[in-house]
Order: sequence, then structure tokens, then C-alpha cells
Amino acid sequence: MKRFLIMLAVVCLSRWSDAAEVKIMVTDAAGKPVAEAVVALYDGKTTVLPAGAGGKIVQKNKMFNPRVTIVQTGTRINFPNEDTVRHHVYSFSPAKKFELKLYSGVPTDPVLFDQAGVVTLGCNIHDSMVGYIYIVDTPFFAKTDDNGKAVLKLNDGQYSYQAWLPGQTKPAAEQKLKIEGATEIKIALP
Amino acid sequence: MIKFKHIRSRIAFTFLTVVVAIQLAGLIPLKYALVKHANALAEEQINVGERVFVSLLQHNTQSLKQATQVLAADFAFREAIATNDAGTIESALESYQGRIHAQIAYYISNNDDLVIGTTDNEQTLFGSNAKEDARQALLENQSGTLKFDIVEGKPYQLITVPVKAPETIGWIVMGFAVDGRLASQIKQLTHLDVTFVQKTRQRDWQLVSGTSTSQLSNLLVKTVADIYRQKLSLHRVDLNGQAYHLKIRSLHETKDDALLVVLQGSVEPFTQDLNTLFKVMIVLTFIGVLIFAVLIWYVSRKTTEPIAALVKDADNIAIGDYEKEIQVDSTDEVGHLAKALNSMREAVLQRSLRIQRLAFNDELTGLSNRLAFNQGVHQAIMTHADSQQKMSVILINIHRFKPINQTLGRDFGDDLLRHVGQVLKQNVLGEQDMVARLDADEFAVLLQHTDQAKATRYADKIQQVFERPVSVQGQAIDVRTGIGIALYPDHGLDEESLLNHAETALQESRAKKSPWIVYNTALEIDQSETLTLISDLKEAIQHDQLLLYIQPKIDVTTRRALGGEALIRWVHPEKGMIFPDQFIPFAEQTGVISDITNWMLLRACQVLAGFKKQGLHITLAVNLSTRDLNNMELPEQIGHLLSSHGLDAKALKLEITEGSLMQDPERAEVVVKKLAAMGLHLSIDDFGTGYSSLAYLRQLPVQELKIDRSFVMFMDKNSSDASIVKSTIDLAHNMGLIVVAEGIENEVVLNQLARLGCNEGQGYFIGKPMPEKDFSIWLERWEGQNEIDIDIGDELSYAINPLDIDPQAQDPFKLDNLG
Repeated sequence: MKRFLIMLAVVCLSRWSDAAEVKIMVTDAAGKPVAEAVVALYDGKTTVLPAGAGGKIVQKNKMFNPRVTIVQTGTRINFPNEDTVRHHVYSFSPAKKFELKLYSGVPTDPVLFDQAGVVTLGCNIHDSMVGYIYIVDTPFFAKTDDNGKAVLKLNDGQYSYQAWLPGQTKPAAEQKLKIEGATEIKIALP
Repeated sequence: MIKFKHIRSRIAFTFLTVVVAIQLAGLIPLKYALVKHANALAEEQINVGERVFVSLLQHNTQSLKQATQVLAADFAFREAIATNDAGTIESALESYQGRIHAQIAYYISNNDDLVIGTTDNEQTLFGSNAKEDARQALLENQSGTLKFDIVEGKPYQLITVPVKAPETIGWIVMGFAVDGRLASQIKQLTHLDVTFVQKTRQRDWQLVSGTSTSQLSNLLVKTVADIYRQKLSLHRVDLNGQAYHLKIRSLHETKDDALLVVLQGSVEPFTQDLNTLFKVMIVLTFIGVLIFAVLIWYVSRKTTEPIAALVKDADNIAIGDYEKEIQVDSTDEVGHLAKALNSMREAVLQRSLRIQRLAFNDELTGLSNRLAFNQGVHQAIMTHADSQQKMSVILINIHRFKPINQTLGRDFGDDLLRHVGQVLKQNVLGEQDMVARLDADEFAVLLQHTDQAKATRYADKIQQVFERPVSVQGQAIDVRTGIGIALYPDHGLDEESLLNHAETALQESRAKKSPWIVYNTALEIDQSETLTLISDLKEAIQHDQLLLYIQPKIDVTTRRALGGEALIRWVHPEKGMIFPDQFIPFAEQTGVISDITNWMLLRACQVLAGFKKQGLHITLAVNLSTRDLNNMELPEQIGHLLSSHGLDAKALKLEITEGSLMQDPERAEVVVKKLAAMGLHLSIDDFGTGYSSLAYLRQLPVQELKIDRSFVMFMDKNSSDASIVKSTIDLAHNMGLIVVAEGIENEVVLNQLARLGCNEGQGYFIGKPMPEKDFSIWLERWEGQNEIDIDIGDELSYAINPLDIDPQAQDPFKLDNLG
């Protein structure tokens, strides 16, 4: 998280001069705040991720930690096993099919996620372990906290956004959005 | 009410009825309860079966689900799905379907509407809602509900399992056919027949599969159709007399389709067992009733047997068998009854013995009576008939018993009879010999195995005993007896003839004054001829065969001839002289006596008239019989006779016996008084032989009393005879009567009588009865000689008894000789 924040801070700093803080609130259809929802905004200009950028999803207590991970296209993620038992991490998702056959400790090679989409992580040994990686090709993305809130620093301009929830097979349709200064966006999931 | 011949039948019937009723009362509710119980058991079985069925399906579902889940969790399979490798998915499904014996296998993708299956026509199976159906099925599965569906017209149980990677990416659906296999599996566990019935849009209710017979299955299809249509809740059908409980459960139901399972439990196995039980109960009941019947029969028989025995005993008493005592074994009511019967039998026996004693015994002497004697003789004859031995019947009569009884008193007479009886009894020869009293002074003795010599010896012995005076009541008295003897078989073959002949012999003994007479046929002749004589007698009167005899009578003191007693003799043309003894009794019986009396009176009057012409004034006495004394016209007739012959009433004397007076005393008195009034002289004949009392005679107008010859004949030798004669004379004189003695046979007696004051006398010493013309001669001689001892017998030999006359000898009284 710390790393993620630093990374976010780096992204923000690069355009800090005209950037404004945008507060995002995600609720479900009933208006209840939704935690761990993923929000991604697109400004139409593709930003390339610096090479070598990576992250990790730790397996601890037979859980993927964090459960929901949002990365930009081209990110390499390693899956260090901090449990005493071995795991067999796999994904049959079209965005990235991979398989880390029974291992313990830190795998030698991280997995490259170069295609936008949702990758559902599972462990072939432990059916209950479910993890999600959202691969987006935009630098503007955020995950809601327990109160369904997220904050993004955005420059004013035209955006479109997508919001996802874990378990949703397809992301909701893209919505158009105009940002002018610090503002607050409310997104209601279907 | 039913009538029973025996008490035991009544007891048995009553108890058996009760027992059978109780058994039936138990059996009928039992039968009802058993049927009810059988139904309850069948119902219970079907309820249990249903629960088993449900849990079986759930268990099946679980295991199928688990098997399916294995496929769903297979990494390679999931990889195939993830890579959309349709061919691999299908082949995996196919192989797995075979492994778990499913008939249908599908994969339904969650992401798109991809359906991959082992059959071609997926769309018809699941339509566009396949995904939702699968999701729904999954939810239902988790809650344990079963999913059935009809696929291509066939019913299936569908198992849906999600495929996770790790999120649900699709579903595997496995279908298991609802078929005979399932049905028999259920049957195996529930012991119920199972039938699956379905309805589809295309077809109405039809049988899917089942374990029952096709007949029952078809019925069930029909029944289910009706129940389904009419929303009935029928739970029972009957087929071929068998009842089946049904449980119908819907497995799948949509607007058009329906799949039902019908569980059937037959009541039959339960009722079969219960029926067997019931049959056993009936057999046991029957055996029980049988045993009870035998017991009742035995007990009631034991109870009534003594009663039946008593009935038999009572019957024995009724027919007169009093001898057998009734056995009393028990102390109960029957025992009391038996005792009562016994005392009744005893009383009847005693009474009958008393009656017998009265009937067969002579109260006075304690000897047998005539009846008993007759029987005794009869029985003796029977025993003697076999053996060739003889036996004797002896009749003994006491002479002059009546005057003894009269003068010395009845008590004395009774004692005398008892004494004589004792004497007779003491002298019998054997134990079986019998002594009886037949009449007042007549005894009979039966001597068994006794010939004539022995019998006469016995008679002699009796005679000897009575030769000495007998002492009775301290008084010595001479007893003279007459004895008649008859022998079996010489004189008779039956008791009647024996007794009659002994009687004849006795009469003879008395008449002849012999100690005893043994019967012989000569005695019998006259008796047997009397009957013919009677008819001859009437002729004799008409043809003048009768003769008048006169026995002279004198004054005892002066010895002057006074006249005589007119007697009758019959000169029979063939039999010669017949004495009155032989025909007078029969003449009296037949009434001919009146004619004889009339003849006698006429002849007496003629004789008297003849003497009167000669200047002789004598008297004649004529005997009157009983019948004469009852003839009210007699006095008139006599009066007529006397006047027609010019005679004085004093010339005729009339002799009457005591017996003749006693026959009809009132009439006799009238006649006698009339005669007396006419001046006729009346005399009582044979005084001492009858029972008449002097007191009675005193009332009659009689002038004379004739002492019987039996007292007079031996008075010179017998002192008691003399004393009887003396007291009679004294008595008669005290009463103002003339006393005439009969039977004077010698001068000693004549003189004795003279001394005693006797008035008149007659007898052989004076003159035997003689014809009329001889009487004149006797008269002349008697008067002429006066006191001269005349032996009339020498010149005129009159027989007194025809038996004494030699039949060959010349009879002077034969008509020819009399001429």
C-alpha cells in the first residue's frame, strides 16, 4: 500500500501544477458505499508505464493480499508465499492465463500483466482463495476504502470512467465525465 | 326353551353356549382389531417407506453431487473450459458421465450462453434460461431439494454443480434417468413397490417405470390420473381383492409436465400374518371348546350318573323289588336323596311284609292261613312232581268246638285253638312241613315226602296226644278230632283236589267217628253223583220215589212212646236207598227243599190222620229248612194241611236248626211267630252245633230244645259231655223249654238222662228210623212190652249208612223188596 501510495504520489507529482483533488464515492444500487471497488478514469491519452515497474500479491493466511490489486498495463507482479503451506496460483482469465505450480517462498520470476482486463486469481489447492487483479491502461485509477471513497488528483478536462466490483465478470459501461477543479464524483454501481 | 332328556345335556349345552359366546365375543373384536392393525402397519410401512425414499433420494443426490463436483474441480477440465476448448469439454463430460452412470451431462458457461452437452438438442432441454435454471438448481441443491425434470419426454434427476476458477465460471449438469433401476433400488430399501408416473405436454399420464405388476401399474396410472385431475387424496386401491396403501409424491410439476412417484404397500403380508394368527386363534378356540365340552360332558356325567342310578333303583322299587338296598356313597344332595329313597324302600318293604303276613297268616294262632296253605301245597307239588315221592295233606277238625267256645268263652276257645295248633306243629316230621288254620276249628297239615303209612302214623300220634285231657287256662278239657288224609299224587295232582279230598275224608272221619280216614275214591262217588241226583230228585218227588221214615221218640222218665221224628228216604231206581245227608244240602241250595218240605208235611199229616183214625194220638216232628223259614206263606200252607186232614195243631212239631234261624233272623222270626201263634210246637234242632245264643232263642216262641247227639252219645263215658248236657238241660228248663236228647244208644245213657231231668229222648236204643208201617208195629211192641228191652235192630236191620251196606247184599229197602 505504501508502495502504491508512493507510486500514486509520483504520478500526481508529475502534473501537480494543474491537478486538483477529485473525491470519488462508489455505492451500490441501493446507495450503500461499496468497498474495494475499482474506479479507472481515461483522458484519452495513453501514458506508458515506466519499464520495470512491478508489484506483489502476497499469499498469507490462505488469502491473496491484497484481495483486489489495480495495476497499469505492463506491470510485473510477483506472488511471494508467506504461508507455511504451498500454493498453486493460477488464472484462467483471458486477460492473463498463468500458472505458478506448487511453490513456497518467492517465485523467481514475476508475472507480466500486459493486457488490460480482469484477472481472477485462484489457488488450485485452496478453493476458497480468490484474488483479483485489475489491469488498466490509464494512470488514473483508485480503489475505494471501507467507506466506499477514493481520492484522485486530476487535471481539469474531459474523462471517461469505469467502475468495477470484484466478482463482476464485466466492468460497467464507460461513462463520460468532465473534471473542473476539485470536485466530488458519485458513482452508483448497477 | 329347548327340552332336554338329560340334565347333563342341559348343563353341557348351557356352558358350551356361554363358552362359544365368550370366544366369539373375543374373536370378533380381535378380528376387527387385527384388520385395523394390519392397515395401520401397512400405513406405517408406507410412511416409513416414504421417509426412506426421501432420504434415499437426498443421499443419492449428495453422492451424485459429490461425484459431479470432482469433475467440476478438476484443474484440467477447468483449464479446458477457460480456454473454451469445446471438444475437450464435451469429451471430458462424456467420459465422466459414463463413470458416474449419468445419462445426461452438460456444461453451461456463466460468461456466455455457451452450452456444451452430450446430447444434441440442448436448446429443447434448457432453452434460453439455462443459466438461470442452473443457478436456481444450484440454490435448490444446496438446500437439499431435488431437481427432477422431464427431458425429451423422459424423466431425469438433475444434479447441477458449479465450476469455479475460483469464481463460478459455469455449471455442470448431470442427469440420472428415473427408471427401473431407481425404482428397484428404492424397493430394496423400503420394501415398497415403486411406480413412476409422468405427464408431458405431448402425452397424458403414462407409466415410466415401476416394480409392481403391469396390472397394478396400469391401475395406478389410471388412479393417479383421477386423483391428479380431481385433486383427490386417495390413499388406497383394491386390486383382485388385495388392498394397497398408496403414497403419491410429486417430484416435478410444471404447467404441462408432472412426474409423480407412487409408493405402494400391500396390506396383504400383514393381513396374511394376522390371518394366520386369527386362524390359529380359531383352531385354539375350537380345541378349547372341544376340551371344555369333554370336561363338561365328564363332569355332568359324574354329576348325573348317581341320579340315573337312583332312577333305576326307584324303578326297581316300583316293580316291587324291595330287597336290594340302595348304595349310598356320597354325602351330597344325591346322597340325601338316596338315603330318603332307602328309607322309603325300607318302609314299603315293612308294609308289604305286614300285608303279606296279614294275607298269609292266621292272626290268632300265628299259623299260616288258607291262602298260604294253598300256596304251600302248590309249591310242594312242584317240588314233588320231579321226585317220585309222595306227600300228604291232612285236615284236622275239632269236634264240638262251638259248644266249647260257647260255654267256656271265646278266650278259652282261642287258647284251645292255639294249643291245638302248637300240638300239630310240634308233631310234624320235617322242617318244610306246614301247619295252617283254615277255618274256625279246622286245621291243615302238609307233610312233605310222606307216604300213607307215615301220614297215618302222624294222625295216630295226634290222636294219642288228644286222648289225654288238654289243659287250657288251668282247665282240663277233652278234645276230639276228626282227621282226613289225602295223598299226592294218589288222590290229586293239584292243591284244590287234594284239599277237597282231604275234606271229604275228614267229613267221613266225622261221620264215622273214626280217628282218621284216608281218602279213597269210594268216598268220592256219592259226591260226584250229587249233581245228577238233584235233577233226579225233582222227578223223585213227582214219581213218589220218596219214603217217609219215622224215628220213635219217648218220654225219658215214663218211657211212654210219644211219637216220632219224620225223616225222609229216597229210593233211587238205580242207586237204591239214598240218605238225606246226600241230597238235602243240595236240595237246600237249589230250592227243591221247599217241595221236599211240602211233601214231608203232606205225608206227615196223612200219617197222623191215619193214626188218628186208629185212635192213636201221637205227634210227628218235621224238619224245616232255612228256605222254609223265609217262606211267609208257610204258616198258611200248614194251617190248610192241618185243617184238611182234620188234625190238631199239637199233632205236628216243627224242628228248626239254629243255622236256619240265623240266615235271615227278621223274616224267620216273623214266620216262627206266626207258626207259634197257630199253636204249632216249635223245636230247636241240633242244639250246641250252631252259634246261636240262648238269649236269642229265648225271644222266640219255641217250646223245645234238642241236644245234638254228639254230646249225648258218649256222655256215659265222657264226663265233660255229661256236664255240657246237664248244663244245657238246666238252662233249657230255666227258660221253660222241653229238652229232647238225640243219640241215645244204650240204657245207661237213657237212665242218665232221666236222672238229669231230660224230658224226651230218641236214639237207636229206642228205635232206628223206620217206615211208616213198621212204626205201628214198633209202637205196639213198645207200648205192649213197656219197659221191656227191645232189640229192634235184630228184627229190622236198618242201615244207617249206605257205605256200611255190602252193595251185593240184599237191600231190604230197595223198592222191589219193600213191595
